[in-house]
Amino acid sequence: MQEKLFTYMDSSPSTGLNDGLLGEISIAIQPNMSVRGWPIEAGSRALEGFTAIYDATVIKRLKQAGANIKGSICMSELGFGLAGDTGAMVLNTGEVDSVLITDTMGEARMAACMAGVIGFKPSYGIVSRFGLIGLVPSMECFGILAKNLDDIAKVMSVVVGNDSRDLSMPEFGSGFEIPNFSQVFETDEPIRTCGIIKECLEILEKDESRAFDAVISRLVKSGLQIQEARLKDFDLDRIVHNVIGSVEASSSAGKYDGVRYGHRTNTAKNWNEMYMNSRAESFGLLVKNYLFQGAYFQYENYDAFIDAARIRTRLLAQTEAALEGLDVLMLPTRHAAFDPFSACTINTVYDVFSWTLLSNITGHPAITLPGMVTFGDVDLGLQLIGSRFQDARLLSTADRLIDLA
Amino acid sequence: MAYEAVIGLEIHVQLNCTTKMFCDCPNRPGDDPNTNICPICLWLPGAVPRFSMETLEKATLACLALNCEVQPRSAFDQKVYYYPDLPKGFQLSQHHMPLARRGSIEIMDEKGKPKKLRLHNVHMEEDVAKLVHETEGRIPISLVDFNRAGTPLIEIVTEPDMRSPYDAMEFLKALRIQLRYTGCADCSMEHGTMRCDANISLRPEGGDQLNTKVEVKNMNSIHHVGNAIAYEIKRQTESLINGEPIVLHTRLWDPEKRITTAMREKFEGPCVPDPCVTQILVTDEWLQNMASKLPEMPNQKINRFVQQYGLMHDEAAQMTLERELSEYFEAVVRLGASPRTVANWIAAQLLPAIKERGYEFTTSPVTAERFAGLITLLEKEEINSNSAKSVLIKLFETVLTPEEIMDQFSFGQVSDTGALGVIVDQVITENASAVENYKNGNKKSIGFLVGQAMKLSKGKANPKRLQEIFKETLI
Repeated sequence: MQEKLFTYMDSSPSTGLNDGLLGEISIAIQPNMSVRGWPIEAGSRALEGFTAIYDATVIKRLKQAGANIKGSICMSELGFGLAGDTGAMVLNTGEVDSVLITDTMGEARMAACMAGVIGFKPSYGIVSRFGLIGLVPSMECFGILAKNLDDIAKVMSVVVGNDSRDLSMPEFGSGFEIPNFSQVFETDEPIRTCGIIKECLEILEKDESRAFDAVISRLVKSGLQIQEARLKDFDLDRIVHNVIGSVEASSSAGKYDGVRYGHRTNTAKNWNEMYMNSRAESFGLLVKNYLFQGAYFQYENYDAFIDAARIRTRLLAQTEAALEGLDVLMLPTRHAAFDPFSACTINTVYDVFSWTLLSNITGHPAITLPGMVTFGDVDLGLQLIGSRFQDARLLSTADRLIDLA
Repeated sequence: MAYEAVIGLEIHVQLNCTTKMFCDCPNRPGDDPNTNICPICLWLPGAVPRFSMETLEKATLACLALNCEVQPRSAFDQKVYYYPDLPKGFQLSQHHMPLARRGSIEIMDEKGKPKKLRLHNVHMEEDVAKLVHETEGRIPISLVDFNRAGTPLIEIVTEPDMRSPYDAMEFLKALRIQLRYTGCADCSMEHGTMRCDANISLRPEGGDQLNTKVEVKNMNSIHHVGNAIAYEIKRQTESLINGEPIVLHTRLWDPEKRITTAMREKFEGPCVPDPCVTQILVTDEWLQNMASKLPEMPNQKINRFVQQYGLMHDEAAQMTLERELSEYFEAVVRLGASPRTVANWIAAQLLPAIKERGYEFTTSPVTAERFAGLITLLEKEEINSNSAKSVLIKLFETVLTPEEIMDQFSFGQVSDTGALGVIVDQVITENASAVENYKNGNKKSIGFLVGQAMKLSKGKANPKRLQEIFKETLI
């Protein structure tokens, strides 16, 4: 069982300092986070045989805090979409306390939802991306699966903060602060008001609507204030993510040429053919489609990309406005069964993630809590979106909502 | 129909920063292949570019020196193309939001009239790796050297304001002077630290339309740029006369055959905003700080040299061609030598001597102190100008002071009336007919007599004193 879930297990004795903050915590990662000496193939033939020559900043910090990084698990090609629910399964075997996966479209929240655990995606820019191999730099970030909020806060307190090797992070201290995860659950600040998004509730199916209404009324009964918020362009998040994501992916994957590492073709007469054949033989159909689509917008329809970037700015402004005066926005996370081997179109992938894209587009922190939105056969996750850089507050709000519901 | 040429240039200039543009690797492309490399400039998976502040500072100084408007917000784009010298598939450049816009450089045109040539923009760009083509036995192989990958460049894009090869060459010379002054770039076309592509089109003389242009590359000296443009004007004129259409494409200059040959269709890859390098915000305060770091530029310096030192405009222009030269000139003058003598001696004697020996002003053994000593000896008439030239040569060859050289090698000028009198007497005895001519009113003969006396003294006599003694003796 273990062999199937893990693609690589660290055979060296744990170098973790047991008295470190994470001395008791064992972790599984996706093979797209660089660990010095580990095979880091990011689920793609394009990185076949690639061994990381340095630790990602996140990995370095986890090691320093004494975490036991056990091994890496199966992942979708270059992190596009979900590779089944391996991450959550590893967590549920009890092998590890936490699984770290890249969250580009909502993967951490979706995997959590499928397996009944908690999935967290922090604010964009508070965790270094140095050493993380991805596809969509402006949307993806480090995400965590865990069984309880405590473990998430512990891991976050270790990995968060400025990194001189990733200058795309905001300069903390100039107007906003690094979230402090050390005493998240000891606050006595009351929850004020939570928002529900009108445009989002309108597209729920009947039973889903009942399940969501049920949890809202339980929360209201427990004394929570609920307010309706507006997000006019909510339904555009899918097209925005799709256009910008594929354009960035097309550029990001440009470096996989099969020359210095990864699969190189045997059948080429010149370098041009070598590139084309190596890439053709390396990428799976789904990633290929995505890269082609991105190249189309780059070469043939740049205006559409500019439109998407403009709507993205608008979505960010609308989300900020919706969060004004609220603790969090609440929406369901629907989990669709996802078979990576049959779901080979971009559309089916976006179908799966349509509820979680928003915070990847806008960079807000988001978390999914399991088992709270249920009715009959319906079992949705409760997704909370917090204000940017208020990640600690989001975790403490989640903690108290669990108690209230 | 008469045609006129419309010429615009795109110039890449390597900035002499300590490090590369997005990582800490040394900016030394000439080192042993693939020694200055890291995961970032190799773009290994997981690398995140880290933009260097030094690049921004030096690029900004260059923009200020070219009278550009530095933009409050600029950003990097990915210029997407696939080639073995760029294995990440895109080059980081500033396409949509360049660091600076507009700007200008003034040149003198062929008629000697000042002409302002405008710049369209100046932007930052990373250089790509270098391909080396070799053979292994009989198999041709291509090697990639990443030392140059990610080194900092600025690209200067001009408006199509040039009308002749002369304009283009003068522009490049003026550009080089301005940029070298800032100390940010070496600007050597021969060494590839300055590279120039020319865009050339023709139109009926006096028109204002822009016709289809042809891009010419591969010129590695300013003269090649002039020659390539001249050739291209001729080639396009013939095409037009023969009724052949001009097609947008790229041509290569062949310096051996002195012709351009078609290379490929002009290629413009897409440019999309880079999601990793943050946008660059420039505040007024920072910009003022940068402006204060800009040295006195050539035009200001020429005016000051004319006013402060009484140089002629041409002399001042010559003394300011290079920043090191102008600083050397001023150092010599500060030591008490008279400015015009210094300027003339630098231009006529020192510059050729330095060049001949392969020195720069900063590395030459003839320091400002030693050169000032020489000029002072000359001005005090302790040596004559002939001997001064000999002393100058010895200054390169020895570590002695000009005075020591003068004494040791007996270059001292003889001004003593007694010693000169003996020589004068001998010349008068030996040149009776010239003496006769002089006495009969041919005053020019005295020059011949002085010349003979100089010869006798082995060049050491004071020619002014000699003339005086001849005049007194031959009354």
